[in-house]
Amino acid sequence: MAQATDDLANQVVQLNSARKLVLGDAAFYPQIISGILPIVGAHARLELRRWGADFLAETFSSPMLATAQKEQLAQNVLQSIQETLQLPETDSAVLQSLVQTVASLYPLVFRHIVNHPEDAHSWEKMNTIKQEILKRMDSFSCPVKICCVKFLQRVVQVQTPGLIADPRRPDQNETSLAILPRGHTVLMIPHLEAEASGLLDRLLAVFQEESSDALLVNATLNCLAPLIRTRQSIANKIINTVLDFYPAKHVQPPFTPTVRVSVKSMERTARALLINVIKKNPSHPMLGKMQVYIERLMQSRLEVTEDASRKRGLPTEPTDGLDTAKRARLDAMTPPVLQIPPLPPGPATFDKLFTLTQDIGLSSFDVKQLPPDLVVKIAVPLLAQVNQSMLTQAVDAVRNRYETVTKEQNLARIKQQQQQQPQPVATADEDDDYEPEYQPMDVAEKDSEDVGAFEPEVPDVQAELVSLGPFVLPQPPPLSEDEAGEVGRSAVSRVFSMINMAETSSAPAKAKTQQLGFTRLAGSNFDRDAWVLLLTRLATRAPAGLESGDKLAKGQSSRRQPISDSIRETLYRYILEDFRGRLNITITWLNEEWYNDRIQMRAAASARDEEDNDDDEEAVVSIHYDTWVLRLLDGILPYLDSRDIKVLVRFLSEIPEVTVDITQRVASLAKDPERVNLCVQALMYLIMFRPPAREMCLNTLEDVYQTYEESRPAAGKVLAKWRPQQTQPVEPATNGAVDAAPPAAQAEAQASAATE
Amino acid sequence: MAYDPRRVNTGSTTPQTPPPPPPPPPESSATPITEMDATQNEPSSDSWKLKFCTVCASNNNRSMEAHLRLSAAPTAFPVISFGTGSLVRLPGPSITQPNVYHFNSTSYNQMYQDLYEKDERLYRNNGILNMLDRNRNLKWGPERFQDWTPGLPRLEHLSKGDKGAIGTEGGVVDVIITCEERCWDAVVDDLMNKGAALNRPVHVFNVDIKDNHEEALLGGKAILDLANRLNEAAVAQRSSHGPEGWENGTGAARQSFDELVPEILADWQELNPNLPALWTLAWL
Repeated sequence: MAQATDDLANQVVQLNSARKLVLGDAAFYPQIISGILPIVGAHARLELRRWGADFLAETFSSPMLATAQKEQLAQNVLQSIQETLQLPETDSAVLQSLVQTVASLYPLVFRHIVNHPEDAHSWEKMNTIKQEILKRMDSFSCPVKICCVKFLQRVVQVQTPGLIADPRRPDQNETSLAILPRGHTVLMIPHLEAEASGLLDRLLAVFQEESSDALLVNATLNCLAPLIRTRQSIANKIINTVLDFYPAKHVQPPFTPTVRVSVKSMERTARALLINVIKKNPSHPMLGKMQVYIERLMQSRLEVTEDASRKRGLPTEPTDGLDTAKRARLDAMTPPVLQIPPLPPGPATFDKLFTLTQDIGLSSFDVKQLPPDLVVKIAVPLLAQVNQSMLTQAVDAVRNRYETVTKEQNLARIKQQQQQQPQPVATADEDDDYEPEYQPMDVAEKDSEDVGAFEPEVPDVQAELVSLGPFVLPQPPPLSEDEAGEVGRSAVSRVFSMINMAETSSAPAKAKTQQLGFTRLAGSNFDRDAWVLLLTRLATRAPAGLESGDKLAKGQSSRRQPISDSIRETLYRYILEDFRGRLNITITWLNEEWYNDRIQMRAAASARDEEDNDDDEEAVVSIHYDTWVLRLLDGILPYLDSRDIKVLVRFLSEIPEVTVDITQRVASLAKDPERVNLCVQALMYLIMFRPPAREMCLNTLEDVYQTYEESRPAAGKVLAKWRPQQTQPVEPATNGAVDAAPPAAQAEAQASAATE
Repeated sequence: MAYDPRRVNTGSTTPQTPPPPPPPPPESSATPITEMDATQNEPSSDSWKLKFCTVCASNNNRSMEAHLRLSAAPTAFPVISFGTGSLVRLPGPSITQPNVYHFNSTSYNQMYQDLYEKDERLYRNNGILNMLDRNRNLKWGPERFQDWTPGLPRLEHLSKGDKGAIGTEGGVVDVIITCEERCWDAVVDDLMNKGAALNRPVHVFNVDIKDNHEEALLGGKAILDLANRLNEAAVAQRSSHGPEGWENGTGAARQSFDELVPEILADWQELNPNLPALWTLAWL
């Protein structure tokens, strides 16, 4: 016994060194194969059979060994494999390797037979082996079965037509049915094709089984990619089968961690396969379907793995033929059906008409016993929870009752008129719950005030109880000032949101529309400018004449911000967010402010003329322009950098009025050595093109010149032109200098002089 | 009060004794396997083990930590390792300036020298040099998964003394473990592209590990644990599968290694909830 093990150990060592030899140089394979076959054949010991099978599998899959050589070696090996298989072999390790070997051999032998039709014997052996494996496949242990899956795939791949890459060099073409000539003596195309189609069904059957085995499913999914890629004729069938496969559907409720691992792995593998297919062919005709499938997989994965308990309810429903959308709606559409008792006999009352419950305790309960605040506490949350469909059902029920009641009563009235007899009493006797007469007082007690409105009509004719009188909505309570302000502010904020929306949505459209110039109407199209204009006018004009009243009660109202100022404040912040881009808005706004100030002043002046009383308060017109232009300038200046000359010049040139304060602010820029030029250039522009402000600016520039050393070179040049006597202290005399301004500037100067 | 220093000592040491026990369990879970290997070494179930492949993005941190763990384990698993990225990317002085190298043609030693010269202090402090030093003692250089030809003999790796090379001469593995879902996707996809020419099944796992040294260390440990569990099952199947062994086994013993994989992973996942795992059975 000990010797036997020694022998075995020795043999294995020898075999291993032989293996190392061929791994190093594939040229030795033929020699080694023929040497080892007798040693590891069908009747050798298990260890040797295992070693041999492993070695064969390795040999015929080795990328180092040329296909032609493998083809030759295959002839010798077939016999040995057949014998081992028919032992019958039971060790799954050996079987695993053998099936792998056969999977590698099959295309080799096929190609060999295609080229050597005379060697029918080899094909016969191959066929026997194939049939043996296919026959025993289902009884094999799991690891072997997995290898059989791959074998099936290989056979299908060989026995379906592939692509002919280059008809002139048949040896380069992939092994497939396409390389088989029509009149082959051994291989019949229709026969092979039919077999392949059957085997493909067998391969794909794993997706249709009741409970799927993750191992086989994954093994199948992972070997389908080459078939889809290279076999046009069956690709769609495979994809469709995969698309019909939902791993989560194939598992039974106990969601053990193992099941979860399995489902997740199947889903991820299916996804990987489809993504692989899509990547290989991004314009695949079934792209859309595959994407939908992938998305659905992701969803179902969430459901199964994250929240297993939610799944439990589903199997009770009829799931067949219902997709998820329908199922979901079913869920939502099945609220309890309201049991509606028929209207109790006897004269109809509002009480009865609206009482849908059959619970006597409930229907006889007088709500009035409850204090109103408690009722409110109960009713509000209840109303929030009212089931839409229940409400609909209830309303329908009441409507039905009402219609029948009116019909009956109409009939009754006709009869009454004919017979001049009171009728209701007759029918009423039979019932215990009978209310002998219609009691309007009772109704008024139980129902709310609305019903009370009918009271005077009701006693006249019973049918009248349902016709509604005119209802006038009461005046809403007057808003307090705070509330009004609040509402106003929220309206303003909505308009601002409109600006933002217009900004984001109409960006491309803006380019197309041309500026309309003076002929346009303010706010005629709903773009950003229109909303801005609306806002600025809201701020400046809307409260005209309202705020003067506030001024009277200054002490109290000053703590409250009037609506117009809150708009201004918001506009101010809005502009500062991006003052370069929103310079337009700034200009529009400031012009409106300035205009408004003028109008107010004129109105105040005329009012003073008319009344002629010396009430000082009347004359006070709050000037908004000065405040806001300075605030804006203060907000902008810190952020200006030396290249922002265009922004600053545009601002200064287009605002309606330049004041000393403004020029002072601009002069302060000179404090920063980097922005000295910005300051000087801006002032120079104003000097040149804004004559009304010229003196002011020249004075400022002189100050700058005197105060800041860095400004000398630039400011000196300007002063040299406009105030040649600049070295002396302030000397405001620049008469001839105006001539130097270009004609256009003069024209503008006159224009702006008109507004100054 | 009498003050006895010894008493204080004993008082402080006794509570300290309990903590040590925790370390042994991992060892004890590892020892049965080696014992089993020893006992089942009878005729020639020789030193059969599962062959592993570890994969991360750059074949530097996570896959190499796992490579080290697996090859240095008492079982000394055959192991090879790869990266799935297009280039080897190592952290540089800032996040936008990574150090980039080519796969397959740059050795760990070259990278080490390069970074050593660039800024020794920086790369010492962020652990890159230590990592490369570890790597260069394990194998020559980073390899790209997509450039790997399964079944191509890897004798030169054996002769170079790569750790874990023994057993992987044939260029095939039984188990691939990736360290990131992106890598798992890349591996599964690439295997599909390669066309499964070998007809050989391979289990592809993902163990999600964050790409830093600490997590790599923990992840490596967990991967070794997973590998041990898998190998235990595979060895058990192989040794019981004699003519009379497997057929007569009962219950779980009759289940093959492959069938046990989902269960093993599920059990392992319960113990390692912070390392989300994924698995499939693919083809080499």
